[in-house]
Amino acid sequence: MRWVDIKDSISNFWFEFKRQKTGLLGIALLIFWILVAIGAPYITEPNIPEKWRQSAWIDYPKTVPPTWTGIFTGVKEAPHEIIPMEELQKYTSVEDGIIKIDIPYNMKYDIPPQDIVIRNISGNSTNRRLRPSLSLYIVRPDGKTVTLLSGIKIKGATDIQIARDNEVRKNVIEWVKQETGIQLDPNKEFQLMTTLDTLRIVFAQLTPDIFDSPQPLMGEYHIIIEVKTPKGTSVDLSGTEVILTGRTYGHLGTDDKGRDLFAGIVWGSRVSLTIGIATAVLTVLVGIFYGVTAAYFGGWTDEIMMRFQEFMASIPSLPILILLGTYFGGHIALWQIVLLLVLFGWVGIARVARSMAYQIKEQTYVEAAVALGAGTGRIIFKHMMPQLLPYAFAQMALSVPGAVLAEASLSFLGLGDPTQVTWGQILHDAQVAGAAVNGYWWWVIPPGLAIALVALTFVLLGTALDRVLNPRLRRL
Amino acid sequence: MGMGKYLLIRAINALIVLGIVTLVVAALFVKVAEKNLTDQIISQVNAEYQSLLQKGRAPEDPEAWKQARIEYYKQLYHLDKPYWWRVFYYAKRTITLDFGNTRIPIFGTERNVKNIIALALPRTILLFTTAQIIVIIIGLLLGVKAAQKVGSFFDRALSILALLTTSIPMWWFGMIMLLIFAFKLGWFPANSMPDPNLTGLAHVLDVAKRLVLPIITIVFVLFGGWAWVTRNIMVGTMQEDFIMAARAKGVPERKVIYGHALRASAPPIVTMTIFSLLASLGGAIITESVFNWPGMGRVYWIAIETNEINLVMGLTFINVALYLAGVIIADISYGFLDPRVRVGASARV
Repeated sequence: MRWVDIKDSISNFWFEFKRQKTGLLGIALLIFWILVAIGAPYITEPNIPEKWRQSAWIDYPKTVPPTWTGIFTGVKEAPHEIIPMEELQKYTSVEDGIIKIDIPYNMKYDIPPQDIVIRNISGNSTNRRLRPSLSLYIVRPDGKTVTLLSGIKIKGATDIQIARDNEVRKNVIEWVKQETGIQLDPNKEFQLMTTLDTLRIVFAQLTPDIFDSPQPLMGEYHIIIEVKTPKGTSVDLSGTEVILTGRTYGHLGTDDKGRDLFAGIVWGSRVSLTIGIATAVLTVLVGIFYGVTAAYFGGWTDEIMMRFQEFMASIPSLPILILLGTYFGGHIALWQIVLLLVLFGWVGIARVARSMAYQIKEQTYVEAAVALGAGTGRIIFKHMMPQLLPYAFAQMALSVPGAVLAEASLSFLGLGDPTQVTWGQILHDAQVAGAAVNGYWWWVIPPGLAIALVALTFVLLGTALDRVLNPRLRRL
Repeated sequence: MGMGKYLLIRAINALIVLGIVTLVVAALFVKVAEKNLTDQIISQVNAEYQSLLQKGRAPEDPEAWKQARIEYYKQLYHLDKPYWWRVFYYAKRTITLDFGNTRIPIFGTERNVKNIIALALPRTILLFTTAQIIVIIIGLLLGVKAAQKVGSFFDRALSILALLTTSIPMWWFGMIMLLIFAFKLGWFPANSMPDPNLTGLAHVLDVAKRLVLPIITIVFVLFGGWAWVTRNIMVGTMQEDFIMAARAKGVPERKVIYGHALRASAPPIVTMTIFSLLASLGGAIITESVFNWPGMGRVYWIAIETNEINLVMGLTFINVALYLAGVIIADISYGFLDPRVRVGASARV
């Protein structure tokens, strides 16, 4: 084939393909997915697959919805904010051995942050009795000051979490009682000591029913951290950061380990595309080769090959895949999944390819090639397989969705590749954590939509290719 | 070739395939279960030892006692025999329909594999076969409608809907349905296990209520594909000469479509129907897991997770046998429905 011919046939193909609107949509979606897959390290962080299995997500809020949900619910929830060390230094002043960090915080949300976390504040002391001590106040826009912690001794590197601290809860309840004069019944107070959503109260208007329905008090707050360093002690703030744990996070929220689901979904596209395309291409090639070979030899060879094909077709494939998954030690590496899916996927294509090859075999040019003494391999690869290529291309695209769904199903059952982030695994984690029961829709809907969208991409491409490349099979 | 001889060959052929599949599954699963069984035996013996210790009746020589117990269990589960012996043992038993018992009761108290299958199969039929019948009816009606008006808005919309719904993982859609209708709105129960305290009409209503979400899920995901295939087959048939001849003769359009075209399109549609009805008996492992529906798929998953060799073998055997039976029935019906296809020739395509 000359270059001009190739160019010509490509432009002919494109001319036909352009008229398939669904095909163009498929191409647009394919380009989108390729960009997402290639751009994953730049869109998110480059080390997500390694980070995914680790406990590197403790700073993140757990199972919070995406930031944009407020648009629909009308309730503005505080997003996640990290105040890094450099910024903290701007707020820091030192006076008479007292280090004071005054962080301004503009509370403009209906629901304040979940937690205030002070990370990695580290105290040193040469005297065993004396230690640096930390106090934490919040100055509210109504001029009142809440003392959350006072005189906490810090020894070594310390993390301080406010929201779940019982000391803080006690201080806050005492403060509310003093300011409003509410009498609390002891049972209720006991219950509040374990269940109080601390920061909602701290950032709420002082009303008599503050514990039952806290109303947010918006405005400029000051979070003040005071560290007293008596003689012989010092405090190292060089690695300190303050995290205002959000009620929402990122584009797609987080799961129960605090993992950023947006990052997971973006990275999952790589696995889906790789598995889908690799499996589809291999499956179709194997199937066509098998079918053509059977048709070419005919007779007993054909008979035996078809019996084997029937045998493979009658094996229930998903249970066997699950069995093999447990056989491989509960987790199947990506390439193993591809091989297994190919092993069970070629069957249907082989049958169609065989019946098509029987027609091709009867054509005169094949007979001529045989008469001229062409070898078996030459006839199969050079004369018969290329005839089936148009069918093959469409079939490849149409096989991708099945492979994508199969991989997702295996991962959903917990048999996926543990070194990869996949959509099926995200859904598996969601199912295990009872995401549906708890209403964590942002954890369930996006991964499934992503799977469906990748599948749709290739269905669109496949049907369009089918119509253009296989005009004999065209049905309006 | 006569019909009887052809059927006989097909049946023998199916039996051979069934035997080989059983052997392969046995070879695979015996290996999978081996390590887990050994671990389970050791932990079970340790537990027995602990309970004896608590009762103050500890054996004199703990190591020897443990060894003896382990040997006992190994013999019980045939772990003392060589690998190939066990493979042939399980394959032979399964093929002779001796499915045996499970070690741990499934569904409450049931340990007999045949009884477990007898319990699970009707439930799967109730769910998947009902859903499949609804799918086929909706699919056929919509497909024929679209084929009548090729290129119309309805036709295009149906095609797009079909492409969309077939791209959705069924189990994911099930999760969404549960999320919305069971947990957010609370209209339907999330658990599919029927309430054991209800009898009579109340029981039927209870089961019906639990069926709604899974059936909607299955129908929604599958009907589009059916409609699309039906439409394509019908459009192909409608272009054939005999349809034009019928129209030219002045046969009413309704009769052309339902009497001539649909009848001519019947063979592939009937084949599809048989296969999907049979496939529905296997249940869908993951979908049943999501809805906690106690059918064949759910049992299969439980069996694999708990390494119940007898149960896995029995379930696989039944599934493969049903599938092969379906292939034969489909072949025969194809021959009956389409006079152009001679039975012998249809087997070769």
